[in-house]
Amino acid sequence: MKLDLANPAWQQTLPPARSLATDAPVAACAFSRDGNTVAFALGDGQVRQMPADIKAAAPDAAPPLHSGVALALIGDPAGDGFVSGGDDGRVLRVALDGTATELLTQKGKWVEHLAAHRNGAIAAGVGRAMFVAKDGEVREFGPHQSTVAGLDFSKDGSRVACAHYDGITVWSIGQVVLPPRRFAWRGSHVALKWSTDGKFIATGTQENDIHVWRVAQATDMRMQGYPAKVKSLSWTADARFLYTSSQPVFTAWPFAGKGPEGKPPLQFGDEGAGLMTVVAAHPTAEFVAGGYDSGELQLGDIKTKRSVVLKMADGSAITCLAWAPGGFRLAVGNDRGDLLVIDLRR
Amino acid sequence: MASPQSSAQVPVTVLTGYLGAGKTTLLNRILSEQHGKKYAVIVNEFGELGVDNDLVVNADEEVFEMNNGCICCTVRGDLIRIIEGLMKRKDKFDGILVETTGLADPGPVAQTFFTDDDVKARTRLDAIVTVIDAKHFFGQLEQGSEAEQQVAFADVILLNKTDLVSPDDLKKVEDKIRGINRYARIFRTQKSQIELDAILDKGAFDLARILEFEPDFLHSGHDHNHGDEVASLSISADRPVDPDKFQKWMGALLQIKGPDIFRSKGILAIDGAPRRYVYQGVHMMMDSDWGSAWKDGEARSSKLVFIGRNLDGDNLKRGFEDCLK
Repeated sequence: MKLDLANPAWQQTLPPARSLATDAPVAACAFSRDGNTVAFALGDGQVRQMPADIKAAAPDAAPPLHSGVALALIGDPAGDGFVSGGDDGRVLRVALDGTATELLTQKGKWVEHLAAHRNGAIAAGVGRAMFVAKDGEVREFGPHQSTVAGLDFSKDGSRVACAHYDGITVWSIGQVVLPPRRFAWRGSHVALKWSTDGKFIATGTQENDIHVWRVAQATDMRMQGYPAKVKSLSWTADARFLYTSSQPVFTAWPFAGKGPEGKPPLQFGDEGAGLMTVVAAHPTAEFVAGGYDSGELQLGDIKTKRSVVLKMADGSAITCLAWAPGGFRLAVGNDRGDLLVIDLRR
Repeated sequence: MASPQSSAQVPVTVLTGYLGAGKTTLLNRILSEQHGKKYAVIVNEFGELGVDNDLVVNADEEVFEMNNGCICCTVRGDLIRIIEGLMKRKDKFDGILVETTGLADPGPVAQTFFTDDDVKARTRLDAIVTVIDAKHFFGQLEQGSEAEQQVAFADVILLNKTDLVSPDDLKKVEDKIRGINRYARIFRTQKSQIELDAILDKGAFDLARILEFEPDFLHSGHDHNHGDEVASLSISADRPVDPDKFQKWMGALLQIKGPDIFRSKGILAIDGAPRRYVYQGVHMMMDSDWGSAWKDGEARSSKLVFIGRNLDGDNLKRGFEDCLK
């Protein structure tokens, strides 16, 4: 069982997959902590769960948990279920049987961003505030100067970074209350990812740029030249590369050694599939998955610069990607409502 | 160049107007009328709205300055986010209505539709509708620049509460409105009563419909110059336009005068081109495209319209004439 893009089988046949059609756009997808279950957050408020095993039967549609759109979804870091957020202002802990308990609710706000740390903490961006839920306690941080447009935990789980207008704010979320740190860069920041080694925080901006801060030194850098906003960012497991969406090919900035200053990004993959909308680095190996606005899905290998097309373009933009913890399964959702789970073991 | 305009784009109507002018009444009217259409309504505060079948979204007017060195490039980031979120819904809408606060500058809302590619792909700005309280308009003009800006940006104006003023005073208000914005359609109303056809689906920002929307557009008017006050003016020419010179002139003009120019539109007879060249802008942002073809024997005249502050008519006229063949 090995992911080997050089294997001729990869070039000839699409890997086995389970595909389900719904009629609601897919806003997010995630695997459970144990990797046994996969779930999709849908535009009709459903959090649709199914076994990760593509041969197991998928259950029927579930009753909607959110009254509007289920906008955000993560695996529950403190259990084997999920945590979802919706435009009804609720953050729900969803058990494997589909029952939900409310973690918090803020009437009139949307919950668009959730993040989790393996220590069990959940962070939610709700309007201009950020909430952290852990061990049955919910704490509020903020308000920020504008709605939180992206958030992520530090590697050790002691801090959460929030993106907003004119920069980002890093909160210490331990019991000792410390003043937040502000990192300023003018404009609207629309996505945020903390590097897997904890050293860098990257954002995508409204001006089609990437902005990256070195957390310890508070120095920053800016990467330009994207034809669209970069709303998807993904650090490799070893933090050596930052993958960014919004290019026709895989685009990875090198962060090993002295960092990416003065260096071009590594680019590889099959051009011509449109613009990448979502990118997800493999959780352990040197692979990466990219979904396009054309509906195409590619898998790439940064070491060999090879890539294969896992799903052909069908016109429905891919909206979300999630790797199973072990990295042998990939969940994919699109704006037409297709729920796809691909088994990559060959 | 212009963003593609297709039927898949959801039309967005922006409702502005000073506090108490009758915006909420108008909104309730739109929502409660039996038109069989479904709207998403983006409001600043939950009020008396709440009609079945329609979705009401609460927004904070979160304006930010684009990081491009242009002080007038302000955009509603909350609107970008909300429109993106609305498009994830299973239930689709026939239209989106955006109600601004009474003291809002309509600039950032309008510029959002010129700036963001995702918003442009999914929606199109249909028209800016401004509701005016006939009784209190002059008082509101005194209180700050907002009432004036809301008139300047408007495609459609509801001159409301006409029953509360004398015919003479109403005439004065209407003259004042015309002085600021000669190109908006004015409807006199009471209690915001208006046929919805008059305000919805107007295509006022649709480049292809610039001519259709403003029948007076090609009639030259006399130029105003009120110094500090907001006014509108038009320039026309019968000689063909040199496209390179025009681009250079217009680019420089908007760069320098952008903050003062609220809206601009134009239909140009480009030298040697079989079709009209149409453009329109909000402050420094502009969209342009080729419009309909000139007919055989038709007089090929160009016309520009500006609505703004400190407009120097003579200077603009000279600048444009330098762009002619």
